[in-house]
Amino acid sequence: MPLEILLIFVVAGISGIALLLHLLGLSRGAVFADEDAARAAWLREFPYETPGRITLSSDRRAALVCTDRGTGMAWCLGADTVARPLAGADLRATEAGLRILFHDPALAPLTIALSAPDRAAWQNKVRFA
Amino acid sequence: MSDQLTYPDVVSLAVPFFIVAILVELAWIVIKGRGGRYETRDALTSLIMGAGNVASGIVLGFVAWGVFMALWRITPLDLGTAWWVVVLCFVLDDLRYYWVHRFGHRIRWVWASHVNHHSSQHYNLTTALRQTWTGTFTFMMIVRAPLILLGFHPAMVLFVGGLNLIYQFWIHTEAIGRMPRWFEAVMNTPSHHRVHHGRNARYLDCNYAGVFIVWDRLFGTFVPEQAREKVDYGLVHNLGTFNPLRVAFHEWIGLFRDIAQHGLSWRERLLYAVAPPGWSHDGSRQTSDQIKAAHLERHPEDRGGPGF
Repeated sequence: MPLEILLIFVVAGISGIALLLHLLGLSRGAVFADEDAARAAWLREFPYETPGRITLSSDRRAALVCTDRGTGMAWCLGADTVARPLAGADLRATEAGLRILFHDPALAPLTIALSAPDRAAWQNKVRFA
Repeated sequence: MSDQLTYPDVVSLAVPFFIVAILVELAWIVIKGRGGRYETRDALTSLIMGAGNVASGIVLGFVAWGVFMALWRITPLDLGTAWWVVVLCFVLDDLRYYWVHRFGHRIRWVWASHVNHHSSQHYNLTTALRQTWTGTFTFMMIVRAPLILLGFHPAMVLFVGGLNLIYQFWIHTEAIGRMPRWFEAVMNTPSHHRVHHGRNARYLDCNYAGVFIVWDRLFGTFVPEQAREKVDYGLVHNLGTFNPLRVAFHEWIGLFRDIAQHGLSWRERLLYAVAPPGWSHDGSRQTSDQIKAAHLERHPEDRGGPGF
Protein backbone atom coordinates (compact mmCIF):
# COMPACT_ATOMS: atom_id res chain seq x y z
CA MET A 1 0.00 0.00 0.00
CA PRO A 2 1.44 3.43 -0.92
CA LEU A 3 2.60 5.34 2.14
CA GLU A 4 0.29 8.31 1.50
CA ILE A 5 -2.79 6.03 1.33
CA LEU A 6 -1.70 4.26 4.51
CA LEU A 7 -1.30 7.63 6.20
CA ILE A 8 -4.83 8.67 5.19
CA PHE A 9 -6.26 5.41 6.56
CA VAL A 10 -4.35 5.76 9.83
CA VAL A 11 -5.20 9.43 10.45
CA ALA A 12 -8.85 9.07 9.37
CA GLY A 13 -9.24 5.80 11.28
CA ILE A 14 -7.80 7.12 14.55
CA SER A 15 -9.68 10.44 14.37
CA GLY A 16 -12.95 8.80 13.35
CA ILE A 17 -12.87 6.15 16.07
CA ALA A 18 -11.92 8.70 18.76
CA LEU A 19 -14.73 11.05 17.66
CA LEU A 20 -17.25 8.22 17.58
CA LEU A 21 -16.28 7.05 21.09
CA HIS A 22 -16.61 10.60 22.39
CA LEU A 23 -20.03 11.06 20.77
CA LEU A 24 -21.15 7.76 22.31
CA GLY A 25 -20.41 9.22 25.75
CA LEU A 26 -17.42 7.00 26.37
CA SER A 27 -15.14 9.86 27.44
CA ARG A 28 -16.83 10.26 30.80
CA GLY A 29 -14.34 9.79 33.59
CA ALA A 30 -15.00 7.49 36.52
CA VAL A 31 -15.56 8.80 40.03
CA PHE A 32 -15.44 7.02 43.36
CA ALA A 33 -19.03 6.43 44.49
CA ASP A 34 -17.87 6.39 48.12
CA GLU A 35 -14.92 5.58 50.39
CA ASP A 36 -15.42 1.86 49.82
CA ALA A 37 -14.89 2.31 46.08
CA ALA A 38 -11.61 4.13 46.77
CA ARG A 39 -10.64 1.41 49.25
CA ALA A 40 -11.29 -1.24 46.57
CA ALA A 41 -9.16 0.72 44.08
CA TRP A 42 -6.28 0.75 46.58
CA LEU A 43 -6.59 -2.94 47.39
CA ARG A 44 -6.65 -3.77 43.69
CA GLU A 45 -3.02 -2.63 43.45
CA PHE A 46 -1.85 -3.23 47.02
CA PRO A 47 -3.87 -6.21 48.25
CA TYR A 48 -1.80 -6.68 51.41
CA GLU A 49 -1.72 -3.05 52.59
CA THR A 50 -5.02 -2.64 54.39
CA PRO A 51 -6.39 0.90 54.12
CA GLY A 52 -7.57 2.71 57.22
CA ARG A 53 -8.90 6.23 56.85
CA ILE A 54 -9.97 7.28 53.33
CA THR A 55 -10.43 10.94 52.36
CA LEU A 56 -12.15 11.69 49.06
CA SER A 57 -11.39 14.80 47.00
CA SER A 58 -14.17 17.32 46.25
CA ASP A 59 -14.77 15.86 42.79
CA ARG A 60 -14.50 12.24 44.05
CA ARG A 61 -11.86 11.46 41.44
CA ALA A 62 -9.07 10.95 43.98
CA ALA A 63 -8.71 9.68 47.50
CA LEU A 64 -6.05 9.87 50.15
CA VAL A 65 -5.51 6.43 51.62
CA CYS A 66 -3.89 5.92 55.03
CA THR A 67 -2.35 2.50 55.64
CA ASP A 68 -0.09 1.14 58.36
CA ARG A 69 2.82 1.49 55.89
CA GLY A 70 2.14 5.16 55.12
CA THR A 71 -0.11 7.34 53.04
CA GLY A 72 -1.04 6.66 49.45
CA MET A 73 -3.32 7.87 46.76
CA ALA A 74 -5.98 6.17 44.66
CA TRP A 75 -7.34 8.08 41.70
CA CYS A 76 -9.49 7.65 38.63
CA LEU A 77 -7.87 7.48 35.21
CA GLY A 78 -10.40 7.44 32.42
CA ALA A 79 -12.88 4.71 33.26
CA ASP A 80 -10.44 2.96 35.60
CA THR A 81 -8.28 3.53 38.66
CA VAL A 82 -4.64 3.76 39.70
CA ALA A 83 -3.06 3.70 43.17
CA ARG A 84 0.41 4.50 44.52
CA PRO A 85 2.13 5.28 47.83
CA LEU A 86 2.98 8.95 48.23
CA ALA A 87 6.46 8.44 49.67
CA GLY A 88 8.90 10.55 47.65
CA ALA A 89 6.20 12.52 45.82
CA ASP A 90 6.19 16.33 45.71
CA LEU A 91 3.10 18.45 45.86
CA ARG A 92 2.23 21.97 44.81
CA ALA A 93 -0.81 24.02 45.75
CA THR A 94 -2.82 25.31 42.81
CA GLU A 95 -5.93 27.50 42.59
CA ALA A 96 -8.15 24.45 42.18
CA GLY A 97 -6.44 22.14 44.63
CA LEU A 98 -3.16 20.24 44.57
CA ARG A 99 -0.77 18.99 41.94
CA ILE A 100 1.25 15.88 42.81
CA LEU A 101 4.50 14.94 41.10
CA PHE A 102 5.40 11.30 41.61
CA HIS A 103 8.85 11.30 39.98
CA ASP A 104 7.79 8.08 38.29
CA PRO A 105 7.82 8.01 34.47
CA ALA A 106 4.75 5.76 34.53
CA LEU A 107 2.67 8.42 36.27
CA ALA A 108 1.70 11.80 34.84
CA PRO A 109 1.47 14.69 37.32
CA LEU A 110 -1.84 14.41 39.14
CA THR A 111 -4.16 17.37 39.68
CA ILE A 112 -6.66 17.00 42.52
CA ALA A 113 -9.68 19.24 42.95
CA LEU A 114 -9.92 20.43 46.56
CA SER A 115 -11.59 23.24 48.45
CA ALA A 116 -9.23 25.67 50.23
CA PRO A 117 -9.65 24.13 53.71
CA ASP A 118 -9.27 20.60 52.32
CA ARG A 119 -6.15 21.66 50.43
CA ALA A 120 -4.35 22.60 53.64
CA ALA A 121 -5.43 19.36 55.33
CA TRP A 122 -4.27 17.24 52.37
CA GLN A 123 -0.97 19.10 52.14
CA ASN A 124 -0.36 18.32 55.75
CA LYS A 125 -1.13 14.62 55.33
CA VAL A 126 0.88 14.28 52.16
CA ARG A 127 3.85 16.13 53.64
CA PHE A 128 4.09 13.53 56.38
CA ALA A 129 3.49 10.56 54.08
CA MET B 1 20.91 -17.41 -3.95
CA SER B 2 18.02 -14.94 -4.52
CA ASP B 3 18.09 -11.56 -2.78
CA GLN B 4 15.11 -10.07 -4.60
CA LEU B 5 12.17 -12.07 -3.20
CA THR B 6 9.25 -9.85 -2.19
CA TYR B 7 5.95 -10.43 -0.39
CA PRO B 8 3.12 -7.97 0.27
CA ASP B 9 3.27 -5.84 3.42
CA VAL B 10 0.29 -7.62 4.94
CA VAL B 11 0.12 -5.54 8.11
CA SER B 12 -0.31 -2.30 6.17
CA LEU B 13 -2.87 -3.97 3.91
CA ALA B 14 -4.79 -5.09 7.00
CA VAL B 15 -5.21 -1.54 8.38
CA PRO B 16 -8.65 -1.01 6.75
CA PHE B 17 -9.74 -4.39 8.15
CA PHE B 18 -8.52 -3.37 11.62
CA ILE B 19 -10.63 -0.18 11.47
CA VAL B 20 -13.77 -1.98 10.28
CA ALA B 21 -13.36 -4.75 12.90
CA ILE B 22 -13.01 -2.17 15.70
CA LEU B 23 -16.20 -0.46 14.53
CA VAL B 24 -18.03 -3.81 14.43
CA GLU B 25 -16.85 -4.72 17.94
CA LEU B 26 -17.81 -1.29 19.26
CA ALA B 27 -21.26 -1.55 17.66
CA TRP B 28 -21.72 -5.00 19.22
CA ILE B 29 -20.78 -3.72 22.68
CA VAL B 30 -23.01 -0.64 22.43
CA ILE B 31 -26.01 -2.52 21.01
CA LYS B 32 -25.76 -5.63 23.18
CA GLY B 33 -24.51 -3.88 26.32
CA ARG B 34 -21.91 -6.60 26.90
CA GLY B 35 -18.76 -8.07 25.40
CA GLY B 36 -16.21 -5.52 26.56
CA ARG B 37 -15.58 -1.88 27.34
CA TYR B 38 -14.26 1.12 25.42
CA GLU B 39 -12.97 4.44 26.77
CA THR B 40 -11.99 7.26 24.44
CA ARG B 41 -8.54 8.18 25.74
CA ASP B 42 -7.55 4.56 26.32
CA ALA B 43 -8.53 3.61 22.76
CA LEU B 44 -6.89 6.72 21.32
CA THR B 45 -3.63 5.90 23.12
CA SER B 46 -3.74 2.32 21.83
CA LEU B 47 -4.34 3.49 18.26
CA ILE B 48 -1.53 6.05 18.43
CA MET B 49 0.79 3.35 19.78
CA GLY B 50 -0.18 1.20 16.80
CA ALA B 51 0.53 4.00 14.34
CA GLY B 52 3.85 4.66 16.08
CA ASN B 53 4.75 1.00 15.79
CA VAL B 54 4.26 1.14 12.02
CA ALA B 55 6.27 4.38 11.87
CA SER B 56 9.13 2.90 13.94
CA GLY B 57 9.14 -0.07 11.56
CA ILE B 58 9.54 2.28 8.61
CA VAL B 59 12.30 4.27 10.33
CA LEU B 60 14.21 1.43 12.05
CA GLY B 61 13.25 -1.57 9.92
CA PHE B 62 16.52 -1.34 8.03
CA VAL B 63 18.41 -2.53 11.14
CA ALA B 64 16.67 -5.92 11.31
CA TRP B 65 16.61 -6.19 7.53
CA GLY B 66 20.35 -5.54 7.37
CA VAL B 67 21.04 -8.25 9.95
CA PHE B 68 18.76 -10.73 8.16
CA MET B 69 20.29 -10.10 4.74
CA ALA B 70 23.79 -10.49 6.19
CA LEU B 71 22.76 -13.89 7.58
CA TRP B 72 21.09 -14.81 4.28
CA ARG B 73 24.32 -14.13 2.40
CA ILE B 74 26.37 -16.41 4.65
CA THR B 75 23.99 -19.38 4.81
CA PRO B 76 24.55 -22.11 2.22
CA LEU B 77 20.89 -23.20 2.53
CA ASP B 78 17.95 -22.02 0.43
CA LEU B 79 14.60 -23.78 0.91
CA GLY B 80 13.00 -21.90 -1.98
CA THR B 81 9.50 -20.45 -2.07
CA ALA B 82 7.18 -23.48 -2.40
CA TRP B 83 3.87 -23.18 -0.53
CA TRP B 84 4.85 -25.84 1.97
CA VAL B 85 8.02 -23.92 2.78
CA VAL B 86 5.89 -20.86 3.58
CA VAL B 87 3.62 -22.99 5.81
CA LEU B 88 6.62 -24.53 7.57
CA CYS B 89 8.14 -21.08 8.00
CA PHE B 90 4.86 -19.83 9.52
CA VAL B 91 4.80 -22.65 12.08
CA LEU B 92 8.46 -22.30 13.02
CA ASP B 93 8.16 -18.53 13.19
CA ASP B 94 5.26 -18.99 15.61
CA LEU B 95 7.60 -21.06 17.80
CA ARG B 96 10.07 -18.17 17.50
CA TYR B 97 7.27 -15.79 18.55
CA TYR B 98 6.48 -17.92 21.61
CA TRP B 99 10.05 -17.63 22.90
CA VAL B 100 10.48 -13.95 22.09
CA HIS B 101 7.19 -13.29 23.88
CA ARG B 102 8.27 -15.39 26.85
CA PHE B 103 11.57 -13.49 27.01
CA GLY B 104 9.47 -10.34 26.80
CA HIS B 105 7.84 -11.19 30.10
CA ARG B 106 10.84 -12.71 31.88
CA ILE B 107 13.71 -10.37 30.92
CA ARG B 108 13.25 -6.75 31.94
CA TRP B 109 15.25 -5.42 28.96
CA VAL B 110 12.70 -6.99 26.64
CA TRP B 111 9.77 -6.22 28.96
CA ALA B 112 10.71 -2.53 28.74
CA SER B 113 9.57 -2.72 25.13
CA HIS B 114 6.66 -5.13 25.53
CA VAL B 115 5.12 -3.61 28.68
CA ASN B 116 3.20 -1.02 26.68
CA HIS B 117 1.10 -3.77 25.07
CA HIS B 118 -0.14 -4.72 28.56
CA SER B 119 -0.60 -1.19 29.81
CA SER B 120 -4.28 -0.81 29.01
CA GLN B 121 -6.85 -1.73 31.65
CA HIS B 122 -9.23 -2.46 28.81
CA TYR B 123 -9.27 -5.47 26.54
CA ASN B 124 -10.70 -4.76 23.14
CA LEU B 125 -9.51 -4.73 19.55
CA THR B 126 -7.70 -1.42 20.01
CA THR B 127 -5.58 -3.10 22.71
CA ALA B 128 -4.22 -5.40 19.99
CA LEU B 129 -2.79 -2.34 18.25
CA ARG B 130 -1.09 -0.99 21.41
CA GLN B 131 2.30 -2.11 20.13
CA THR B 132 5.87 -1.20 20.98
CA TRP B 133 7.91 1.60 19.42
CA THR B 134 11.19 0.25 20.75
CA GLY B 135 11.27 -3.40 19.66
CA THR B 136 14.47 -2.87 17.65
CA PHE B 137 16.38 -2.03 20.83
CA THR B 138 15.57 -5.36 22.46
CA PHE B 139 17.73 -7.10 19.83
CA MET B 140 15.15 -9.92 19.76
CA MET B 141 15.51 -9.93 15.98
CA ILE B 142 18.38 -12.32 16.62
CA VAL B 143 15.88 -15.06 17.57
CA ARG B 144 14.87 -15.10 13.89
CA ALA B 145 18.47 -15.92 12.89
CA PRO B 146 18.03 -19.73 12.99
CA LEU B 147 15.14 -19.53 10.50
CA ILE B 148 17.23 -17.58 8.02
CA LEU B 149 20.30 -19.77 8.52
CA LEU B 150 18.06 -22.80 7.87
CA GLY B 151 17.26 -21.38 4.43
CA PHE B 152 14.02 -19.41 4.86
CA HIS B 153 14.35 -16.15 2.92
CA PRO B 154 14.23 -13.01 5.15
CA ALA B 155 11.30 -11.63 3.13
CA MET B 156 9.37 -14.83 3.81
CA VAL B 157 10.23 -14.70 7.51
CA LEU B 158 8.93 -11.12 7.76
CA PHE B 159 5.85 -12.03 5.68
CA VAL B 160 4.81 -14.86 8.01
CA GLY B 161 5.61 -12.65 11.02
CA GLY B 162 3.10 -10.14 9.63
CA LEU B 163 0.48 -12.88 9.22
CA ASN B 164 1.16 -13.92 12.82
CA LEU B 165 0.53 -10.36 14.02
CA ILE B 166 -2.70 -10.14 12.02
CA TYR B 167 -3.92 -13.43 13.49
CA GLN B 168 -3.39 -12.06 16.97
CA PHE B 169 -5.59 -9.03 16.29
CA TRP B 170 -8.95 -10.77 16.60
CA ILE B 171 -8.11 -12.54 19.89
CA HIS B 172 -8.04 -9.22 21.76
CA THR B 173 -11.73 -9.17 22.51
CA GLU B 174 -14.22 -9.97 25.23
CA ALA B 175 -17.01 -10.17 22.68
CA ILE B 176 -16.13 -13.78 21.87
CA GLY B 177 -16.47 -16.30 24.69
CA ARG B 178 -15.08 -19.70 23.76
CA MET B 179 -14.39 -21.22 20.37
CA PRO B 180 -15.15 -24.92 19.61
CA ARG B 181 -13.20 -27.30 21.83
CA TRP B 182 -10.89 -28.57 19.07
CA PHE B 183 -10.01 -24.99 18.15
CA GLU B 184 -9.30 -24.03 21.78
CA ALA B 185 -7.02 -27.08 22.02
CA VAL B 186 -4.75 -26.09 19.14
CA MET B 187 -5.12 -22.39 18.44
CA ASN B 188 -4.65 -19.25 20.47
CA THR B 189 -8.10 -17.80 21.14
CA PRO B 190 -9.70 -14.80 22.84
CA SER B 191 -10.17 -16.90 25.98
CA HIS B 192 -6.51 -17.97 26.15
CA HIS B 193 -5.22 -14.50 25.40
CA ARG B 194 -7.53 -12.77 27.90
CA VAL B 195 -5.71 -14.82 30.52
CA HIS B 196 -2.36 -13.62 29.17
CA HIS B 197 -3.45 -9.99 29.70
CA GLY B 198 -4.54 -10.63 33.29
CA ARG B 199 -2.87 -8.96 36.28
CA ASN B 200 -4.37 -11.50 38.70
CA ALA B 201 -1.63 -13.49 40.46
CA ARG B 202 -2.99 -16.66 38.88
CA TYR B 203 -2.75 -15.30 35.36
CA LEU B 204 0.72 -13.70 35.46
CA ASP B 205 3.30 -14.98 32.95
CA CYS B 206 1.37 -17.58 30.99
CA ASN B 207 -0.15 -18.20 27.54
CA TYR B 208 2.67 -16.67 25.50
CA ALA B 209 1.46 -18.19 22.23
CA GLY B 210 0.96 -16.19 19.08
CA VAL B 211 -1.08 -18.47 16.83
CA PHE B 212 -0.74 -22.03 18.19
CA ILE B 213 -1.51 -22.48 21.90
CA VAL B 214 0.19 -25.89 21.66
CA TRP B 215 3.54 -24.19 22.46
CA ASP B 216 2.25 -23.23 25.93
CA ARG B 217 0.86 -26.70 26.48
CA LEU B 218 4.21 -28.17 25.36
CA PHE B 219 6.42 -25.90 27.50
CA GLY B 220 4.19 -25.89 30.60
CA THR B 221 3.01 -22.27 30.52
CA PHE B 222 -0.65 -22.84 29.65
CA VAL B 223 -3.34 -21.58 32.05
CA PRO B 224 -7.01 -21.87 31.05
CA GLU B 225 -9.46 -19.05 31.73
CA GLN B 226 -11.29 -19.75 34.99
CA ALA B 227 -15.03 -19.15 35.17
CA ARG B 228 -14.66 -18.36 38.89
CA GLU B 229 -11.90 -15.79 38.48
CA LYS B 230 -12.60 -12.92 36.08
CA VAL B 231 -9.55 -11.51 34.36
CA ASP B 232 -8.44 -8.11 35.70
CA TYR B 233 -6.64 -6.46 32.77
CA GLY B 234 -3.54 -4.28 32.93
CA LEU B 235 -0.28 -4.17 34.84
CA VAL B 236 0.45 -5.20 38.42
CA HIS B 237 0.87 -1.46 39.05
CA ASN B 238 -1.13 0.33 36.38
CA LEU B 239 0.06 3.34 34.43
CA GLY B 240 -1.21 6.72 35.56
CA THR B 241 -1.16 8.26 32.12
CA PHE B 242 -2.57 8.14 28.61
CA ASN B 243 0.45 9.99 27.21
CA PRO B 244 1.85 7.77 24.41
CA LEU B 245 5.42 8.97 25.11
CA ARG B 246 5.18 7.85 28.74
CA VAL B 247 3.53 4.60 27.64
CA ALA B 248 6.34 3.91 25.15
CA PHE B 249 9.33 4.87 27.28
CA HIS B 250 8.42 4.70 30.99
CA GLU B 251 9.96 1.29 31.63
CA TRP B 252 13.15 2.12 29.74
CA ILE B 253 13.55 5.25 31.89
CA GLY B 254 12.86 3.24 35.05
CA LEU B 255 15.34 0.58 33.98
CA PHE B 256 18.17 3.03 33.31
CA ARG B 257 17.42 4.91 36.55
CA ASP B 258 17.69 1.62 38.43
CA ILE B 259 20.96 0.71 36.73
CA ALA B 260 22.40 4.15 37.52
CA GLN B 261 21.64 4.03 41.25
CA HIS B 262 24.58 4.75 43.55
CA GLY B 263 26.23 1.96 45.50
CA LEU B 264 25.26 -1.03 43.35
CA SER B 265 27.64 -3.79 42.30
CA TRP B 266 28.07 -4.46 38.58
CA ARG B 267 26.16 -7.70 39.03
CA GLU B 268 23.21 -5.83 40.52
CA ARG B 269 23.27 -3.30 37.67
CA LEU B 270 23.22 -6.15 35.17
CA LEU B 271 20.36 -7.88 36.98
CA TYR B 272 18.25 -4.73 36.78
CA ALA B 273 18.44 -5.21 33.00
CA VAL B 274 18.19 -8.97 32.59
CA ALA B 275 16.36 -10.30 35.68
CA PRO B 276 12.57 -10.70 35.55
CA PRO B 277 10.52 -7.49 35.89
CA GLY B 278 10.02 -6.65 39.55
CA TRP B 279 13.48 -7.79 40.62
CA SER B 280 15.26 -5.32 42.90
CA HIS B 281 18.59 -5.44 44.73
CA ASP B 282 16.94 -4.67 48.08
CA GLY B 283 13.84 -6.82 47.71
CA SER B 284 11.58 -3.78 47.76
CA ARG B 285 9.62 -4.94 44.70
CA GLN B 286 8.05 -8.21 43.66
CA THR B 287 8.56 -10.42 40.63
CA SER B 288 5.61 -12.41 39.31
CA ASP B 289 6.95 -15.51 41.09
CA GLN B 290 6.99 -13.61 44.39
CA ILE B 291 3.49 -12.24 43.75
CA LYS B 292 2.23 -15.79 43.20
CA ALA B 293 4.02 -17.00 46.35
CA ALA B 294 2.51 -14.15 48.40
CA HIS B 295 -0.92 -15.03 47.05
CA LEU B 296 -0.49 -18.68 48.02
CA GLU B 297 0.57 -17.72 51.55
CA ARG B 298 -2.83 -16.09 52.00
CA HIS B 299 -4.78 -18.50 49.82
CA PRO B 300 -3.23 -21.94 50.32
CA GLU B 301 -6.37 -23.49 48.86
CA ASP B 302 -5.22 -22.27 45.42
CA ARG B 303 -1.94 -24.23 45.59
CA GLY B 304 -1.62 -26.68 42.70
CA GLY B 305 -4.48 -25.06 40.80
CA PRO B 306 -4.17 -23.48 37.34
CA GLY B 307 -1.50 -20.79 37.31
CA PHE B 308 0.02 -21.80 40.68
